[in-house]
Amino acid sequence: MQIKKQTKGKALAKAKKLGQKATINLIKEKVLLGRGGAGFPTGTKWEMVYNEPEKEKYLICNADEGEPGTFKDKFILEKNPELVIEGIKIAMFAIGAKKAFIYLRGEYEYLENRLKKLIKKANIEIVVGAGAYICGDETAILESIEGKRGQARLKPPFPTVKGLYGKPTAINNVETLANVPLAIYYKDWNPNLRLYSLSGNVTKPGIYELPLGTKLCDLIKLGKPKNKIKAIYFGCFGGCMPHCEKTKLTPDDICGKDCIHGAGTIIAVDEKHSIVDVATNIAKFYEFESCGKCTPCREGTMRILALLENISLKNADMKDLNTLQELAEVIKETSFCGLGQTSTNHLLTALKYFRKEFEERIKEQKDRRRIR
Amino acid sequence: MPDLLLTELRKIQKKDGYISEQAIKKLNKKTGIPLSNIYGTATFYAMLHTTPQGKYIIEICNSPSCFLNNSLNIIKYIENKLKIKSGQTSKDKKFSLHIGSCIGCCDKAPAMLLNKKQYTNLTKEKIDFILKKLK
Ligand code: SF4
Ligand code: FES
Repeated sequence: MQIKKQTKGKALAKAKKLGQKATINLIKEKVLLGRGGAGFPTGTKWEMVYNEPEKEKYLICNADEGEPGTFKDKFILEKNPELVIEGIKIAMFAIGAKKAFIYLRGEYEYLENRLKKLIKKANIEIVVGAGAYICGDETAILESIEGKRGQARLKPPFPTVKGLYGKPTAINNVETLANVPLAIYYKDWNPNLRLYSLSGNVTKPGIYELPLGTKLCDLIKLGKPKNKIKAIYFGCFGGCMPHCEKTKLTPDDICGKDCIHGAGTIIAVDEKHSIVDVATNIAKFYEFESCGKCTPCREGTMRILALLENISLKNADMKDLNTLQELAEVIKETSFCGLGQTSTNHLLTALKYFRKEFEERIKEQKDRRRIR
Repeated sequence: MPDLLLTELRKIQKKDGYISEQAIKKLNKKTGIPLSNIYGTATFYAMLHTTPQGKYIIEICNSPSCFLNNSLNIIKYIENKLKIKSGQTSKDKKFSLHIGSCIGCCDKAPAMLLNKKQYTNLTKEKIDFILKKLK
């Protein structure tokens, strides 16, 4: 695995020799894209912070991996934390930050001591979260580190301009930072290798390192499913699609199906499970995690859940499917932050590809009532 | 630096098992951060509690990967065994139960945290075994 390679401080030494500007350019040339889900070019982000005239700047390592079905950052922090720390130091040097924070999700608290030992005297502080999915959002992280409720901020200004305590801030994901030393030190570093978190109805779940463009079905085969896989969810926010032979793991191919490649989260659902039940489960997740700041998401996620529970357990009507669809679209269009905006992807794609299952469930419930 | 607020609150949570009104007032005196801000932050996070908790806090995942691997049955089993529902604390103050979101153990589903320690690939037998060992 590329991600298990080490650089033992040599990449940091090389960066220092190159200087700030050249290090940033090298990362740009190597096309290191952010691995947290958005895929923004890392070098460009650094350059934006570097170019800000402010003296005080910050780097944040986003270790708040909260997307259900994702555990690749945890894998890196467990198997190769040295690499992440070196990546942080290089990033601090490149953008000119005197201080960095690692925002570690509360669920990963057990990793804190080991990281502390590796940090030694470097000016890197670990802030441990306390359980809030929204804090994976980069502006919510800022609020959380500042000690406030972890709610998203209005953008612009972007964190690269006004971030932590109003200062220019680069926020990079764990996998991104782990790749920084590798990209700098190894000539044959492959930018296309990604970590996929595979889980769900497979007997060999886990982390698989594969190049972009790998066939989705090849990854599923590695997972050795017991039953036939019918659907793939790209986490909760990435939407779902039918499992087919042709799909390739590239952002474009997956986007074409209205899904999001995101951070390489693959949840396989087999034919023994109903998409209606999965949709209800995910709706519960969003209802729970909505931060409550804006109305479409706060009220909308609640209504979506109620409608879905009605469909799966009680007495819904075919009309309700249209209501569900409309509401899902409104939430997507009008929510304040990424959480709300993506909270109905799973439902819109489920209604697109698996509408029949919803219709059948409604019919089943109707028939049952008639018999009674 | 006010960034310490979350860290301070986590410390209190760890020491007292929850964040009491008194603790919030004390923190307000110590730091000068307004009461409303402290309370706002304390109530925002799933792992911070403002009501007394049991000696053992169980946070069990019900996100999709766990859901697809039988988490609902495991949750029901725990609820019946401890005679509490999510958000409640047992009469003997030994256990609190919280059904929550993904804890990053999706490859070992279903999974839970018990006082922050991970327990994975849960089965009913495993639950019996884990709970029996706790004093
Ligand atoms: S979209 Fe949801 S999570 Fe985002 S600000 Fe609105 S209520 Fe909060
Ligand atoms: S979905 Fe249960 S631990 Fe991730």
